[in-house]
Amino acid sequence: MIKLKINNQVVEVAQGTSVLKVAESLGIEIPTMCFKDGFGNHPSCMLCLVKDAKNGQLHPSCALPAEEGMEIITDDEEIFEARKESLELLLSDHVGDCEAPCRTACPAYMDIPKMNHFIAERKFDEALKLVKEEIALPLILGYICPAPCEGACRRSQAEAPVSICELKKMVAEEDLKSDDYYLPEKLASSGKKVAIIGSGPAGLSAAFHLLKFGHSVVVFDKNEEAGGTLRYDIPEENLPNSAVDAELKMVKKYGAEFRLNTTIDKAIFEQKLKKDFDAIVFALGNFEDGKMKDFGFENNKFGLVADKATFQVNEEGIFACGNVIRSRKMAVTSVAQGKQVAHSIHDYFAKKAPEKIYRMFNSRFGKLKQEEVGEYLKECSSKVPEPFEGPIDVSKNRVELKKEARVFTMEQGVEEAERCMHCECRKLHTCKLRIYSDKYKADRRKFMFGERKTLKKHMQHELIVYEPEKCIRCNLCVDISALQKDSLGFTSIGRGYTVEINIPFNKNMKDVFDKTALECAEACPTGAISLK
Amino acid sequence: MKQKVNEILAEKGRKVEAVIPILQAIQEEYNYLPEEALQQVADNSDITLERIYGISTFYSQFRHEPVGKHMIKVCVGTACHVKGATQVYDAFKRQLNISEQDETDADGLFTVDKVACLGCCTIAPVVQIDQTTFGHVEPSKVKEILDDFLSSDGNPEASKLATDLSDTDKDGEVRIGLGSCCVASGSSDVKRELEESLQKNQANVDVKEVGCVGICNQVPLLEIHKPNESPTFYTKIKAEEVSDIIRKHFRSKSIWTRWKNDISGMIDQYVLKDIPKSVKRYDSEQVDTPVAEFLDGQINIATEHRGFLQPNDLEEYLKLGGFQSFKKCLKELDQNAIIKSIKDSGLRGRGGGGFPTSIKWEMVKNATDKEKYIIVNGDEGDPGAFMDRMLLESYPFRVIEGLMIAAIAVKASSGIFYIRAEYPLAVKRIKEALYLCEKAGLIGNNILESGINFPVEVFEGAGAFICGEETALIASVEGNRGLPSMRPPYPAVKGLKQKPTLINNTETFAMVPWIIREGAEKFEEIGTKNSKGSKVFALAGKINRGGLIEVPIGITLREIVERIGGGIPNGKAFKAVQIGGPSGGCIPASMMDTPIDFESLKEAGAMMGSGGLVVLDEDDCMVDIAKYFLSFTQDQSCGKCTFCRIGTTRMLEILEKITSGNGKMADLEMLEKLAYSTKKGSLCGLGKSAPNPILSTLQYFKEEYLEHINGTCSTGKCQEMIEYFIEEECIGCTKCAQDCPTEAIAIKPYEVHIVENEKCIKCDICRQVCPVNAVIIR
Repeated sequence: MIKLKINNQVVEVAQGTSVLKVAESLGIEIPTMCFKDGFGNHPSCMLCLVKDAKNGQLHPSCALPAEEGMEIITDDEEIFEARKESLELLLSDHVGDCEAPCRTACPAYMDIPKMNHFIAERKFDEALKLVKEEIALPLILGYICPAPCEGACRRSQAEAPVSICELKKMVAEEDLKSDDYYLPEKLASSGKKVAIIGSGPAGLSAAFHLLKFGHSVVVFDKNEEAGGTLRYDIPEENLPNSAVDAELKMVKKYGAEFRLNTTIDKAIFEQKLKKDFDAIVFALGNFEDGKMKDFGFENNKFGLVADKATFQVNEEGIFACGNVIRSRKMAVTSVAQGKQVAHSIHDYFAKKAPEKIYRMFNSRFGKLKQEEVGEYLKECSSKVPEPFEGPIDVSKNRVELKKEARVFTMEQGVEEAERCMHCECRKLHTCKLRIYSDKYKADRRKFMFGERKTLKKHMQHELIVYEPEKCIRCNLCVDISALQKDSLGFTSIGRGYTVEINIPFNKNMKDVFDKTALECAEACPTGAISLK
Repeated sequence: MKQKVNEILAEKGRKVEAVIPILQAIQEEYNYLPEEALQQVADNSDITLERIYGISTFYSQFRHEPVGKHMIKVCVGTACHVKGATQVYDAFKRQLNISEQDETDADGLFTVDKVACLGCCTIAPVVQIDQTTFGHVEPSKVKEILDDFLSSDGNPEASKLATDLSDTDKDGEVRIGLGSCCVASGSSDVKRELEESLQKNQANVDVKEVGCVGICNQVPLLEIHKPNESPTFYTKIKAEEVSDIIRKHFRSKSIWTRWKNDISGMIDQYVLKDIPKSVKRYDSEQVDTPVAEFLDGQINIATEHRGFLQPNDLEEYLKLGGFQSFKKCLKELDQNAIIKSIKDSGLRGRGGGGFPTSIKWEMVKNATDKEKYIIVNGDEGDPGAFMDRMLLESYPFRVIEGLMIAAIAVKASSGIFYIRAEYPLAVKRIKEALYLCEKAGLIGNNILESGINFPVEVFEGAGAFICGEETALIASVEGNRGLPSMRPPYPAVKGLKQKPTLINNTETFAMVPWIIREGAEKFEEIGTKNSKGSKVFALAGKINRGGLIEVPIGITLREIVERIGGGIPNGKAFKAVQIGGPSGGCIPASMMDTPIDFESLKEAGAMMGSGGLVVLDEDDCMVDIAKYFLSFTQDQSCGKCTFCRIGTTRMLEILEKITSGNGKMADLEMLEKLAYSTKKGSLCGLGKSAPNPILSTLQYFKEEYLEHINGTCSTGKCQEMIEYFIEEECIGCTKCAQDCPTEAIAIKPYEVHIVENEKCIKCDICRQVCPVNAVIIR
């Protein structure tokens, strides 16, 4: 037995145990990517670096044998920085998106690829539920959203972007057709009351999400009908009032109380609202209209000043979102802010400092190179030949809404959703590179100054997809298939920075990993090898 | 092909560890690796196609495409780099009309390739076409070289030794160096000429081929030894000058005898007056000659009997006391006593790290395994270093003796010479020497009737710098990609085939016989407190007398550069010494009095390394030097760990940004930070030391980095930051215009010429050919 110290804890272990395993036995977590039990001296990612306290040197703990008298530190600032830097170096060589560009472009962070998946599979209910996670008013936005998501859609590099906005409208319209439309289950009633001033997209969105959290909501509006800019500023041909009515009805049914024809001035605010409500949201469409200057909150040339992350103004319990903090915002931004305000208020009620809704780390690489478009088209068409040499003549064209029609038919919707190239990563939730980049707050752009490599998607295999530019060269797949004497496996090709994991002599990807495909996909720490 | 591959498999074996020798044999046969042949190896052996392809793409020796009929290898080692190797490489490609991404010309006649270092640093820039080496190559001479090569193609005959010289009553001895540098400079032609001319003159003279003399930039070197006279040196001799020299020294016998008796003193005068103009002649007893200065201050332990010993004459080596130490160890000393001697001597590993040799030996000795291995590390991959090459080529028996002493000391079962494939002569000499030793019963079975068996074989490295690292070296011997692994376990505990393995550098082994023979104390007396004995350095770059030197540790850089090396040529100012190659650093002129030992160099931000010592002058750009070394390590990184694989690449990108004039202060900060984290976070010595050239130049030459960030490279080395300009001194000779490969200079006889910078590719030819130095860089 060997005695050593890890983070000042004395521990006795058998000869030959790695420091990683010793730490594990003490419940100390050390991050790893390239390590897998049974594959010993294999350090490559250098994420598991620990420090020898005696000389200050860093070593990969997965391969470092425990020695008598050793003193190991597993976490300090230097180690944190080294791990972070190794992640940043890996990211600089990683061509791949975590979330698809459409989703990261959407101010409401709607999970577009997943919605498309559901629609293509004719699971319209599921699609609608997913949309409503982020967007309280999908029908209205279906009409008026300028669709920044479609601007980011990679399909537009092949021909036209996917009609994301129409698809969302379609599922919302379908949902609201009957009276039995979807209303998310609410949390138990909190007994807290929130006043929302303004019934435009920001106010309605805040109301919807507050209700979901179990708080009660009163919406004040100066006009005789609710809807704010949606009803009064946008012409009927762009946004029919029937759509506004339908979603207003939905919010009302969900539990919001509306007090119309009510202008909130400074006096009412101070004497009544503050007394009767636990939190107040300013969601007016216009800073000037509401005479907001009189209220005495901090403001600037754009309007009311609210915290960028939480939208709280300079008084606790008072929030602001939508055009009142900066006019001429897209409605979808107001909707997104409404959701954030609901979260901030929920935190506030729980006596926590309000926090921004957490978004996980996202790797992004921007536009496709021309030669990469075909690689992505493979994701949505089995007709793309391998290897793809272009030009694109096998893709389906964008489904256009017929002139007189208001929404897609289901068939059109399915056809359109099938055009999605699914730019999101297949290992969105399990990729260790993403998980640790998130944890170590890695800056993905820090070392990105070289020209990025060109990506490929190998999809010939029955079970797996191989994307070399997501590979971190851990060699686990090479070792797994070699160990099990698979008929044909990957190998490391070349040396140094250009080393690549692939099949010898460019043999067909179909024939690789006969026995070990699933194991390799599972062992692969990133999205490089994933299940189809 | 099937039959050939089967023959190869039958010879090399079908086991995993035979993969590199098998691939080498296939390439030898077909000049590349045909896919069909590799598939056949996979089908008929234990070696999988994955392994074959992984290996054939890892080692730079292997090719998957057929190459041209002739290989042009442009050396881009350090010494060649500072003398313009990149421009030479470009010039070859341009001359042969080879596009940027291709390597072979349209006719399939020539393939142009860069090689890390041919180890002929003293005659830089060096180019090898097939077996012919050309030294001092300039871009403007490329056409001439190709023509010259083609005209002599097919008849470079192997020289044959003169046989009909009578054995008795020699009138003298002529020694000629046949190390790689000498051969590269034409010594084999000189030798052929020498033999012919001796025959013609019926001179009764011994021709002795000796190993490297060390004065590599004065080669070919001819030494004339006559009875009762001090020897005469001829440097930089040409074949056509040989017969004159011989005629003057050795007339036909009758005349010679008369001269010898009567007017012996006259000859020297006669010679002095009449020697050909290109040759320099020195008397060995004159103390102020360059040769004497070069040799003075040196000490010969690893290089004992330098310039005298015939590399493959075992009898001579034995006569001079060779293998005495081994015999003493075999018969008189026990294991502990041998190791104690090594310990007392203070010998530290000469491969770079400076790890105490006796500790390794002790560890392997203490291991109880029956199988133990010893590996002689001759995988000298540092650009700018050629110590191992020279030791293996010139003193093969000494290295073998060192190995054998170690074998006795640690009770090892077999030994391997790991020699890089770029050193064909070293491989050949060691193989010959091993053969002779085996015949003499010094290695192999039942050594000197002792009952001890110790077979030794040669493993040729396949071109990967990383294999100098001991764990990577072992991986490659085992038939794997040369990837280093985490230490511990150290090879001394778990090495080749998981058995205890002693790995020492070639030079370390070469020190051992002397220590045993002369005693540890004598070795210990040389050197400094913690660094004992002597060290061999390859002195090259901007120096008057480059070459291979062996000096006592503790000698200062000033002594080496000024006394031994004779200072900087062409009146230029000395700027720095790059020591330790890609793992080392640059020491500025202001620190010339730094003693050379393991600790002082480390403190100064460099390291002993394996012993490359490249002198830089005022014309060298330190940012360019840092970039040069980093691009070497970046290229040679095995690619296993993140910091080395990607970190070196990013650092190189930053340096490229800086040397192209686009750098910002923030880049400098990031460079430094990344250098430190790569040093900390890399797995093996290659990555850990790769940032040293950056850090040491940042430490001593930060102002040069700042200068680049402000948009100038005052030395004019950074091509993207300079322009060529012709000054008023131009005499209108049109030479530059005629030689310009891109017509960037219009021909205007008797007028001042003008460079059109849009067309200029900065090949430097105009500046080199200008007879009045009117072409300048600004």
